[in-house]
Amino acid sequence: MPATLPEGSTPPNEANEANEARVRAPLRKADRKGRRVEVVLARGLATMAALLAGAYVAGLVHLLMRGSSKLLAVSSTPVPRAGVENESVVRGFVSVAVFALLAWAVIATGRMVVGRVTRMRTADENAADPKLGGWAIAAIAGAVVAVGIVLRDHVPSFLVTLPSETTAGGGVGPEIFNTLYFAVLSTAVTLPIGVGAAVYMARFARSKPMVGALRTALDTLASLPSIVYGLFGFLVFVVQMQAGYSLFAGAFVLALLNLPLVVGISEESLRAVPQEVEDASIALGATRVQTTLRVTLPYAWPGILSALVLSVGRVFAESAPLIMTAGTTISRGSAYSLNPFRGGETLAVHLWYVNSSGLSPDKADVSAGTAAVLVVLIFLTNLGASRLARFGGAMGNKATSRLGKATR
Amino acid sequence: MTMRATFAEESARSRSIAPSARRGSGAAGVRWGDMLARGFVITCAGVVVLATATMIAFLAQTGIKGLTEVGLWPLLHGTKWKPEADSFGGFALLSGTLVSASGAVLFGAVPAVLAAVWLSELSPKMIRTPFRRVMEIAAAVPSVVYGWLALVYLVPIMEHVAHRLYGADAAVGGEGLASSAILLGIMIAPTVLLLSLDALSRVPAELRQGSAALGASEMQTAFRVALPGAWRGILIAVFFGLARAAGETMAVQMVIGGARKLPDNLFTPTTTISTQIVMDMQNASPGTTASNALYSMALVLLVVSVIIVLATRLLSRQTAT
Repeated sequence: MPATLPEGSTPPNEANEANEARVRAPLRKADRKGRRVEVVLARGLATMAALLAGAYVAGLVHLLMRGSSKLLAVSSTPVPRAGVENESVVRGFVSVAVFALLAWAVIATGRMVVGRVTRMRTADENAADPKLGGWAIAAIAGAVVAVGIVLRDHVPSFLVTLPSETTAGGGVGPEIFNTLYFAVLSTAVTLPIGVGAAVYMARFARSKPMVGALRTALDTLASLPSIVYGLFGFLVFVVQMQAGYSLFAGAFVLALLNLPLVVGISEESLRAVPQEVEDASIALGATRVQTTLRVTLPYAWPGILSALVLSVGRVFAESAPLIMTAGTTISRGSAYSLNPFRGGETLAVHLWYVNSSGLSPDKADVSAGTAAVLVVLIFLTNLGASRLARFGGAMGNKATSRLGKATR
Repeated sequence: MTMRATFAEESARSRSIAPSARRGSGAAGVRWGDMLARGFVITCAGVVVLATATMIAFLAQTGIKGLTEVGLWPLLHGTKWKPEADSFGGFALLSGTLVSASGAVLFGAVPAVLAAVWLSELSPKMIRTPFRRVMEIAAAVPSVVYGWLALVYLVPIMEHVAHRLYGADAAVGGEGLASSAILLGIMIAPTVLLLSLDALSRVPAELRQGSAALGASEMQTAFRVALPGAWRGILIAVFFGLARAAGETMAVQMVIGGARKLPDNLFTPTTTISTQIVMDMQNASPGTTASNALYSMALVLLVVSVIIVLATRLLSRQTAT
């Protein structure tokens, strides 16, 4: 909007003043609100959006609060053991993980508070949050491991005891173990095949029909409902191979389910590697494969890793295909066994099973606890994935400097 | 020899260096490693294609067996699904899936799109990132958790509503299509919202500035410029939500009641394709019609989701050009 009137025209004084005032007045944001109806409508939209977000926040907070009675029940007397294979080791891991989580929460809050206080005191808006030194981190990690191992029989019993079908007080120890074990098993399949296929798509693809077939295959996989994966796993492993329900079958099916996601994100981050970096490697005499292995892959690694973390999140969340391939039971004898050819349920499956056919009197509490553990796990994977994605640029620089060292 | 030829082709990317010079130190070991790596990568691509093909072939084979045993028309339009009486009418299953999924779009996707428009066009800037974070977490929460929350909180509310609508002693309850549709809506809303936000953020800022320069108000800019500019992306988001709602299994199983019949109204138990598959598959002995018919229904579900995905892809291809 022009701020001044044309020089030539000199309207009457009063009119000129009024005009000037109107023109000079800054354009306020309120002027763009529009008519009254629009303001009301906009307010309605805002209320709706606030309600939507509020509902999710309230639901999640409520869930965590309700589950916290199970998750925070630290006992002074040692939780009795069931005498299952590997139980002591699993307890150690769970307990270390719990204490690590606590330590991380305390340190993160502390850093935030100290940072905010210094910013207020020094009036320096850009003062960074304080950082812990390497030695401090090592000392804290050591302390966490030590405390975790010593106190491994005093973690909340819900996290380390076996589930119970008919009586109150069942835990989800084996379910937590199975959930994490599934993540490891399915990543062991997805990582090589997914990254291999992504490298093929991003760098080595020359055969048109093959690329077309691969794209179609990935699109198909991405569009299938998860129950269809379950049917396939059931048909192949349980019916045809007569292997019964097994973690192996479930992990295979989950790996298949996650392939489109992993290949997609990995390919994207491989393609995002700057051409100059690869050209430099080739100019130094490295072959195409050497360049891919030593330059492109390290550079794209954070992206690939965040894809894997996201796929782990899906492993945690998936239930239908696992019910059909890995079953809904925990066998007492092999609850913590590393044998992948046994059956076993995950946390998500347990949550469904307890509510659909569980008979224990405290199933509301068990469900709340299970759901809370699941949500905490999902929250952590999400946090990890977004941290890694943000890490991208920094890792890239590291990769290039490593290349510099290698060729010097 | 062919290997070497492809090698040269490949290295033609940096044309200034002769292919022969690019063979590096010429050490045989390096080339062996190269061939190994290349072979591995190609194998990986092959495995993905092969696994997908095997999967579709297996399902189609069993599904078609079921189709020939039952017949396509009876399977799609019969209303009685009673394996023990050799009656496989999948209409109740199919309609359960379609009604609850479209209900989910109504209850979940529509508010989500409106909220996305508000968030990207009208909201104060400082709440945008926290809002996104909340939705990202909500989108990642396992569907069984939503199912359980719905079972505990939504079903009693719906029961109350049902008795208000149909009278205190009517044979209605909280379990049924209404609860499933609302649950699925709650489940897909965060995903639809996030994808819609992405679509809206791809609308060029110049368009909004132009609209503002012409004197349009914020609401006019949001609904007459930004929303039409992003409608393809938003439609893709809605289709994505629809596909997820149609394929959801365990969460729906917890609130739909699991009766193998057409419901009298939205508040009586019924079933969907996916829940029926997961419930019956454990009991149906493999090879029987009861089992094969379930695979046929899975094929039907597959066709439904392929149609949705094809529509999405058609849309996204048009966006790209």
